[in-house]
Amino acid sequence: MPILEARALTKTFRRPDKASGFKGAVKHLMQRKYKNYTAVDGIDLSIEPGESVAYVGPNGAGKSTTVKLLTGILRPSEGTVRVMGRDPHTERIANAHDIGVLFGQRTQLWWDLPVEESLKLLKHMYGVSDADYKARIEKFDELLDLGEFMPALARTLSLGQRMRADLACALIHDPKMVYLDEPTIGLDISVKDRLRAFLRELVNDGTTLLLTSHDLADIEEVCERIVVIDKGAIAYDGSIERLKAHYITTKAVNLYLEGAANVPELAEKFPDYEWTAGEAPSEVTVTYESSRFTTAEVLGSLTAQLAPRDLSLSEPSIEDVIRRLYAGELTK
Amino acid sequence: MTHSLTVDRALVVISFKRRLAYKSHWFFGLAIGGGSMLIAMVMWQNLIGSGTLSGYDWDSMRAYTIIGFVAATMVFGAADWVMADRILDGHIAVDLTKPVDFQRARAAEYIGSMLSTFPTAVMGVVAAWLLFEPPGPASPLAGLLTLVSFALMFPLAFGLTYLSTLVCFWTKRYMGIMWLREALLSFFSGLMIPLAFMPGWLQAVAWALPFPHFTTTPSAIYLGRVDTLGALGLLAAEAAWAVGLWALGWLVFRTAVKKVTVHGG
Repeated sequence: MPILEARALTKTFRRPDKASGFKGAVKHLMQRKYKNYTAVDGIDLSIEPGESVAYVGPNGAGKSTTVKLLTGILRPSEGTVRVMGRDPHTERIANAHDIGVLFGQRTQLWWDLPVEESLKLLKHMYGVSDADYKARIEKFDELLDLGEFMPALARTLSLGQRMRADLACALIHDPKMVYLDEPTIGLDISVKDRLRAFLRELVNDGTTLLLTSHDLADIEEVCERIVVIDKGAIAYDGSIERLKAHYITTKAVNLYLEGAANVPELAEKFPDYEWTAGEAPSEVTVTYESSRFTTAEVLGSLTAQLAPRDLSLSEPSIEDVIRRLYAGELTK
Repeated sequence: MTHSLTVDRALVVISFKRRLAYKSHWFFGLAIGGGSMLIAMVMWQNLIGSGTLSGYDWDSMRAYTIIGFVAATMVFGAADWVMADRILDGHIAVDLTKPVDFQRARAAEYIGSMLSTFPTAVMGVVAAWLLFEPPGPASPLAGLLTLVSFALMFPLAFGLTYLSTLVCFWTKRYMGIMWLREALLSFFSGLMIPLAFMPGWLQAVAWALPFPHFTTTPSAIYLGRVDTLGALGLLAAEAAWAVGLWALGWLVFRTAVKKVTVHGG
């Protein structure tokens, strides 16, 4: 039985329709006009316990709105959500006990007080026992180095520290279902790596995770399943592996030749491959269909005939696939 | 202690501690409140002299002014904008992911912030007592019932403030609402001038509102301007307003929460 199930989930907002300038402001005052826009448009989503799902989409695609619908903050305009059998909006308090939420752009720490105070307040709110609290804080300290800034005022934390503290706040009650809305936004590489390692551990422990991010490394390293949303509707829903297998149909080799590369001539000589000029005159990229040729074959024929100075393989990137999904080049 | 009460207490304490983080807040509270009290004292002494005005002589006016100072410190010193800001900047999204009743949690926080004005009120009252030697309560019972009236100010102030911050769901602005509430409270509570100085019809308007309980009710009880039965009647009205505003707040929130729109992350 799914832990989370959304059916035809829709959220429509009413936005003032105002012309710009003073005239527009006055006109709006006299005659109010509004435009409806649909942020989330009939989404069907089902998540099984223990799954780790990346929820991906360009800015304004409806990611955050979906998370707010799933967590019970917003009321759906149409459709239904069930999380552990409950309606998260009408049964908000009961639902809140079992979920953990992190909004990367909003802290839940008490700004003027030490981090520890916020965590202790949450301990009371969720009714966490002293023993569980102590054990979890120790674990967070081990994985996120929480101890170093527990006594610091929240407003004095760096962004990376703040995010780690917020993550601890979201997980202090050991929730079954966790929503992380852009947990790595604005963080440097080393903090991102730690956070990802922590999230992998969380998933391995059986926590169900829904993560939104613009950072595709978050997605590849933490999640198994990816849901791509664009303009409020789901554009892809499936495993990351399948996405790659399905949409990454070509591979590429970068060649560094002795002299300048003559792309048209090479293209004529090897018509089965696609040739594009690289950054330097001696660089050239060869793209081939992975269903027709193995990498060994391609490398064999190229090295034998061109004797390149050096070569490198381009790893197929999920980033390219998602970019193409956003651009509408690919369909389900 | 039940779980809900533990949460209430934790919220009261954390909210109190937050205010503790800014010691200048007390200093300014005392400077502004104490300054206003001093000005009022000088003005009333000059106006009343050795006579009486609508039943107030200089003795009773000194006690009245000190009671007004305490009420003003409690209600104007509390953290109303914290509640409003969370609605306006979208932080309410975070509050709604917590397993606590929204209104009850805000009440606990608000009461914590009201309690944080305690040192300011005590310092002001002690200083005023030494400087002006006001008369004591009309009777020990009147003194006790005055304290009950002050205690009821906590839920009453919360009810008014909570409702006015909920208006932010519709207006998307708080400043004007806050000004309106504070102006109405200053005027109709009797904080600026006693209600007894106003024409009958304006007094009737005031008594149809919850505001008189912020100065007029405790001072009338303290000074013995009402008998015990009258005092109990005033306290019952004050309590009824607190309960009524709580219920209204609950109803308004139920509608408001459907309107929550948190954009941009």
